[in-house]
Amino acid sequence: VNMGTDLAYNFVFKVVLIGESGVGKSNLLSRFTKNEFNHDSRTTIGVEFSTRSIQVDSITIKAQIWDTAGLERYRAITSAYYRGAVGALLVYDITKHLTYENVERWLKELYHHADPHIVVMLVGNKSDLANVRTVPTEEARDFAEAKGLLFMETSALESTNVESAFLEVLTAIHKKVASKEVTRGSISAVTLGPSSEFNEEKRSCCNSS
Amino acid sequence: MGNPTLQASGKISSSWESTPGKNSGALSSTAAESAAGPPEEVLASASLMSGTLESLSGLGDDCSSLGSDSEINGPVRRTDKYGFLGGAQYSESSEAEIAVAVARQREMKWLDMFRNWDKWISRRFQKVKMRCRKGIPCSLRSKAWQLLSNSQELLDSNPGKFEELEQEQGDPKWLDIIEKDLHRQFPFHEMFAARGGHGQQDLYRILKAYTVYRPDEGYCQAQAPVAAVLLMHMPAEQAFWCLVQICEKYLPGYYSAGLEAIQLDGEIFFSLLRRVCPMAYRHLKKFKIDPILYMTEWFMCIFSRTLPWSCVLHVWDMFFCEGVKIVFRVGLVLLKQMLGSVDKLRELQGMYETMERLRNIPPECIREDVLVQEVVSLSVTEALIERECSVQVRKWRVSRGVLTHQPSRRLHGTRAIFEITGSRHLPRVSYHLVCTVLSPNAETGSIYYLAFFFFCFLEDGYLMDEISYIISSQFCCTECHGVHRPLAPSVPVQPHNPPLSITQKLPQPEYLNKTVLWREKHGGDNNLSLSVLEDLFIHCTVDC
Repeated sequence: VNMGTDLAYNFVFKVVLIGESGVGKSNLLSRFTKNEFNHDSRTTIGVEFSTRSIQVDSITIKAQIWDTAGLERYRAITSAYYRGAVGALLVYDITKHLTYENVERWLKELYHHADPHIVVMLVGNKSDLANVRTVPTEEARDFAEAKGLLFMETSALESTNVESAFLEVLTAIHKKVASKEVTRGSISAVTLGPSSEFNEEKRSCCNSS
Repeated sequence: MGNPTLQASGKISSSWESTPGKNSGALSSTAAESAAGPPEEVLASASLMSGTLESLSGLGDDCSSLGSDSEINGPVRRTDKYGFLGGAQYSESSEAEIAVAVARQREMKWLDMFRNWDKWISRRFQKVKMRCRKGIPCSLRSKAWQLLSNSQELLDSNPGKFEELEQEQGDPKWLDIIEKDLHRQFPFHEMFAARGGHGQQDLYRILKAYTVYRPDEGYCQAQAPVAAVLLMHMPAEQAFWCLVQICEKYLPGYYSAGLEAIQLDGEIFFSLLRRVCPMAYRHLKKFKIDPILYMTEWFMCIFSRTLPWSCVLHVWDMFFCEGVKIVFRVGLVLLKQMLGSVDKLRELQGMYETMERLRNIPPECIREDVLVQEVVSLSVTEALIERECSVQVRKWRVSRGVLTHQPSRRLHGTRAIFEITGSRHLPRVSYHLVCTVLSPNAETGSIYYLAFFFFCFLEDGYLMDEISYIISSQFCCTECHGVHRPLAPSVPVQPHNPPLSITQKLPQPEYLNKTVLWREKHGGDNNLSLSVLEDLFIHCTVDC
């Protein structure tokens, strides 16, 4: 997959990473956008973000991934964070059952603030620690299916499935955007006319498709 | 070197006392004086340090481990002068150092201040402020911060309290989160690099102690970097009380549930930006970049994660002396630097591009000398901040309902902290006295005399705003304990024409905006003698 130069892209999709503190959101971000992993990455305070452009079929999508503090206390300030997001990765730690139990609350929080058509993937991170797993894969997969969420288990440390997870989400968003079922305006990443703040085509180099 | 488990150890504290990282007075003076090799305390601590560094070699072979080949050869990483082994805040080869003689002279001046601290704060505070703005000598920073914040006195008046707090079990919910954060603070700093090392242990101790000290507050992640900076300079117990002062006096409510204080300050910050740099303001507004998206980490961590390290320390020197005003000023200066011209904005025509710039501040915007100069000369005063605060509080109540946070709890630096410490009596002299008369209350016949304003930079245009603010507040006089009722809003304001004003020639420190509301029944005589007003002022100062 093309690591992405910042040249022509057809869409910009804002994706947010949510989930309890310490599940690995920041490392999923750095793994996907910079192919980096850090055992001692700093606690996220406020908002972090990064981008990466990928190809889906012949379309270039620029993914704008946002990451924020998972601690309960920070929920008070996250509404600005969700604005305009078309995708979300709801992350839990497969070795810490509590982080999975709180997924319902995160979903509630998500639907309270974000676009109703937002594409959501449930991500069980730290699959490299499967020997001390406390959340069975099938249970989480069934839960995701019941809630209409995509699902994947990943390891930011070993780089397992990180690409696939993001790719799947971005492809799903693109499908929604391209489909005629979604009315314009409900997903703001749709490239509308020149007045749309997400219409990036004009700014890119001259050979956008 | 012992098992790096989490246990409080008195021995560890005392060894830090003799060699607490790079910024201790003891270390620099012994290092300066010794000719033949490092003194014993240094050697003893070096072995403690290498114990810490040895545990680094146990880390896996991913790119985050430091010194992973050190088991045989010994640690090879060299720290910069602040203790950083690498990372974004690592300082490259040192900038021109001050001559030793000059450095010594500055140290002597500070030592003199330490010896007569109360006098300096009450009578020569302007000088103290100026010296903090110059930057506190490294060797004396620890002591200075504790005196400026009054945390030393807090420690002295709470003997054994920290130990008591440490012995409590603590709420497992907080302890769990704190533990997760220990290896995520300044991982590139030698003090915190080792998992389970002394730095991380001390961090755990003081963060846990705070949750026991203030169980209703609990733990907020941004307290960790702040605590870590303190630990880089002083032992755990002292750092704890300094943290207490930051959380309760300097930045009350910043770390509390609901995060109301930081959101309120974000709104204040943004509206100050409009005044200071309208171009930056318009740009951020255009791309719908809420202040909370960029100033959260700046303010909550007091720029410790944002600026080069020497800047961080310099900012903290000023912060301890002058309070949150410095934080506001630094933020405003940064925005002005990054977004303050058409040229700079040309590259940033989008929300993402702008936010990326705000997160990756170009080095030319954070040259220490320029930054400090800009901060010092920015005309944003405590009074302005407080005024804007009352505006934003009103807006909040209208649009969001209840505000449980009380902005008036905040103290703007050393002088304000000293004033509330009962034992000290500071001479109350004002810089500007303005008085106006309001029309009498029709029912009771009482004539209301307007508040006195004391702030250094009185701008005429804001006098009326101030009056209407005073009218809507209620005051309790801290001297006579009388409650001054608010004036009825319908009372029209008629400023005395021309306004009576006195300008004192003496240079005075900037005070919190203090006012006096004085009500007296008069038989219709509106003439106030200034001496009466002055007397009243000395007797009765009211906090708004």
